Amino acid sequence: MSEIALKELLYKMADDQLILGHRNSEWTGMGPLLEEDIAFSSMAQDKVGQSLALYTLLNQLGESDPDTIAFTRNANQFHNCVLVELPNQEYDFSLIRHFLFDTAEALRFEMLTHSSYAPLAQLATKIRGELRYHTLHANTWIKQLGSATPESIGRLQKSLDYAMPYALGIFEVSPYEDDLIKSGIFEGEEKLKAQWVTKVEAIIAQTSLHLPDWKLVQPLSGGRQGNHSEHLQPLLDEMSEVFKIDPTAEW
Amino acid sequence: MASLDPRVNRLPAITEFVSPKAPLDQFGTYEVFVQPKEGKAFQHEGIVHAPNLEMAYVLAKEAFTRRFTCSSLYVVDTREVFTSPMTEGEKNSYDFIEDGFEEEGTKVSFEIYHLAKRGKQHVHVGSVTASSPREAMVLAKAKFNTGKVVYNVWAIQSDKIRFTSEEEKELWLTLPEKKFRDASDYKGGDKLKEFLEKVK
Repeated sequence: MSEIALKELLYKMADDQLILGHRNSEWTGMGPLLEEDIAFSSMAQDKVGQSLALYTLLNQLGESDPDTIAFTRNANQFHNCVLVELPNQEYDFSLIRHFLFDTAEALRFEMLTHSSYAPLAQLATKIRGELRYHTLHANTWIKQLGSATPESIGRLQKSLDYAMPYALGIFEVSPYEDDLIKSGIFEGEEKLKAQWVTKVEAIIAQTSLHLPDWKLVQPLSGGRQGNHSEHLQPLLDEMSEVFKIDPTAEW
Repeated sequence: MASLDPRVNRLPAITEFVSPKAPLDQFGTYEVFVQPKEGKAFQHEGIVHAPNLEMAYVLAKEAFTRRFTCSSLYVVDTREVFTSPMTEGEKNSYDFIEDGFEEEGTKVSFEIYHLAKRGKQHVHVGSVTASSPREAMVLAKAKFNTGKVVYNVWAIQSDKIRFTSEEEKELWLTLPEKKFRDASDYKGGDKLKEFLEKVK
């Protein structure tokens, strides 16, 4: 088993969960209705918790402790896809991102329940209930608003068109892809993407929304290699602001 | 421009023509029932606003079961809940349900709930098969009335309920670990005491 390949996988997954968890938490107190505010905030909290679990696995493999990894790296040291760092804008975009990302996330962890790296397989099995709720939540909203009024459909369609190239960036292949597949750690981004396309198509087919021609969408990648948009560094600055006042403080 | 005073904004708009009444600007309500532990009875927890039954289920999950323990949840449109007369003191609500009913066709299952204490929640006691809510109440009286005071009885047609499926029960798998969501888990008092000791 190649440790460097495994670490790369864990870093990109953990960073995805942490950054999207933080982004989604920005809606806390400002959600479109009270019940949704609570649900979205809870799921954001789940994502940060999942990032902690993944950073803990990295720590067991010799990396720094989770707080240090999460709060002291610069943007170019993060391996999250660009999709998760984009600013929230309106709620329609946050919902579309939630749907596109969480569909991939749930499928990825489902694959990882069979990972040859046992600690990751155990984690994937343990959090399957959280992921089931996240996708149930996303699918229900998309089906609801994707076939409600001309305004809701139009808004979601616009956000879907905007987010799609970034969503394909989730599946940017790792330089260690073959290694991961051969060692049975992870079945690979290509296979994941194929499953994701099927799932996304199945949900969108139940709405008045349209998917673009997959062949014509140019994926916006680079995040996995540390090439990010201008939005990530300000997010990191804000997220680590309190931590950096006193890194040794106990909370 | 709309007024800064919400009372002014709530006034009906002045219209010159005959126009339809404005629709409600709020979602309808759905009743939420929670099973705190496998084997325990479902109890009424509260309501959520939602545009439909499935959305109500999704929203109820985090609104009512993000803390403590939960093994299952279900929701139903408030308009599907039929209630007996509310009583107090020593009066049993079942005594106000008159016997006799007219059968109205197909029999379906109804879930029955008791309010055993004023100010507490309705708790599920079982089900009956009846052709109307009224018939369900009468059958519930025969089946569940022990003479012990019940202040209120609810009857809900079972197939109107959005239940949690067997596979969905994993939704609450990690809930017992989320102790950090309880205010007491912060141990604020202990931390303050420790801090005050330190600065002494």
